[in-house]
Amino acid sequence: MDYMVETKGLTKQYGGKEVVRDVDLKVPRAHVYGFMGPNGAGKSTTLKMLLGLIQISGGQVTIGGEPVNRKNRIAILKETGSLIESPSYYGHLTGRENLEIVQTLKKVPKQEITQVLKLVRMEEQQNKKVREYSLGMKQRLGLAEALLGRPELLILDEPTNGLDPAGIQEIRELIRELPGRMGMTVLVSSHLLGEMDQMADYVGIINHGHLIFQDKLEALHEHSRGSLRLCVMNQTAALEILKREGISCNREEGALELPRLADDATARLIGKLWEGGAGVYRAEEKQKSLEEIFLSLTGRRGSL
Amino acid sequence: MLREWKTEWMKVRRRRIALVPAAFLLFSFLWISWAIRSARMESGEENWKWLLMCLGLINTLLMPTMIAMIASRLCDVELKGNTLKLLCTMEQKGRLFDMKLLTGAVYVGGYVAAELVMMLVFARLHGFAGGVTLRHLMCFLLQSGFVSLGVLLVQMLLSLFSANQILPLAVGLAGSFLGLFSWFLSSPLWRPVVWAYYNLLGYIGQNWDESTRIVSYYEVPMDWSAVITLVVALPLGYILGRQLFIRRTPGCG
Repeated sequence: MDYMVETKGLTKQYGGKEVVRDVDLKVPRAHVYGFMGPNGAGKSTTLKMLLGLIQISGGQVTIGGEPVNRKNRIAILKETGSLIESPSYYGHLTGRENLEIVQTLKKVPKQEITQVLKLVRMEEQQNKKVREYSLGMKQRLGLAEALLGRPELLILDEPTNGLDPAGIQEIRELIRELPGRMGMTVLVSSHLLGEMDQMADYVGIINHGHLIFQDKLEALHEHSRGSLRLCVMNQTAALEILKREGISCNREEGALELPRLADDATARLIGKLWEGGAGVYRAEEKQKSLEEIFLSLTGRRGSL
Repeated sequence: MLREWKTEWMKVRRRRIALVPAAFLLFSFLWISWAIRSARMESGEENWKWLLMCLGLINTLLMPTMIAMIASRLCDVELKGNTLKLLCTMEQKGRLFDMKLLTGAVYVGGYVAAELVMMLVFARLHGFAGGVTLRHLMCFLLQSGFVSLGVLLVQMLLSLFSANQILPLAVGLAGSFLGLFSWFLSSPLWRPVVWAYYNLLGYIGQNWDESTRIVSYYEVPMDWSAVITLVVALPLGYILGRQLFIRRTPGCG
């Protein structure tokens, strides 16, 4: 597979403490890669290392097939758009003037400013001073700065922070469209798992500095190992039959939760329950939510 | 390099930084205009010496504060908007430092050039005999120009590393007074103090005759040890400051 970003043994230490440990990221070209993890897991640190904003303690970063070093860092990063933590801006300048600075440094044609402003829907606010922008507008400006020069790679750290619900949806849709419309690879971090469900093709999950999962989003869903939820009229009879069949189950809010069975085994079981007078009135496959999958992978409870 | 240089000027648009040196220049003009009324000089040459010494003293007091204000206004645009992490993905950090310093140097250089013009205006207005000598001109540039570059370097570093610009401004103000004290309190302890070099590189001295109440001016021989210290310290300070900036700000370039 062709990877836009690849890291090998990426490690970061702060005062002898490893905050990112042996991370092997593989971000496929022209896809959205969701980089997930709870707060403090090492997402931003990893992204900053990719951009060379902090020094790497160990490992190697390859972008676009080229190992990044001090000499080629700027040349490679000029082909990369980024929005890390909070947007960067000059408050006394207008949105357009801010973009003109980035456009000059990136050596891209001036007309691209109009294009990116349109893309992030900021045409009407372009001549307003940035210090008068809301946080959401600043976030859009940051995204516009990142998009200038149509970079091959876009690295976004929690880009929907501070946006209103409509803005969040717009930005998610925009990110979703970028690989198809512009051939960009998007590496986007978030601690909102539902957000990744809407945007990402591939996901990586980091926890305590370790990359604990990395694959297609579908593979993560596969990982969920859903269960079968049965609603029955007579639970006692149903439990008796299940015991006889050697199938374990949990009682849950008036229903029975069974491990996922093969289709024919499910059909057979429902038949037996019907015959035994259990009275099945609903059978549904229950998928683990992304939150549950994440928690089962990280073994961590509480706020993400 | 020209692109980076251009963006420095784009960043300071609407910051009205030029108003700072313009205001200080106006203040200097008014100060000298007031002082010249009470000055009694014996000859045309004395006029020039008086003016150069007067300007040296005024610069000692005003330039550190002015430079602190310029450096602060140039650097706080990056700190307020958290822009260094964005710039460091597009521009080598060392170059960013160079461009910032160069931009500050343009303002300082412009101010010194404007002072030269101001001197000529005074000479014309008050009918000073003769012109400014080459030695005086060189000494003036060394005293006001090169010392100010050293002060600019210190202030630039302080401003780049201070989230709150009060500290560098306070240092600038303190530098003004330190420089001024160095004119009146002679001591080798001033050697490591950059602001004292406005005095150490002074080239005109004065004698006040108590009986006649007449002040006479004389040429002060160049303090070569101070010149050498400055010539060595300025590039060294630049290299160290640049390295410090590269190490302490985000990015590895």
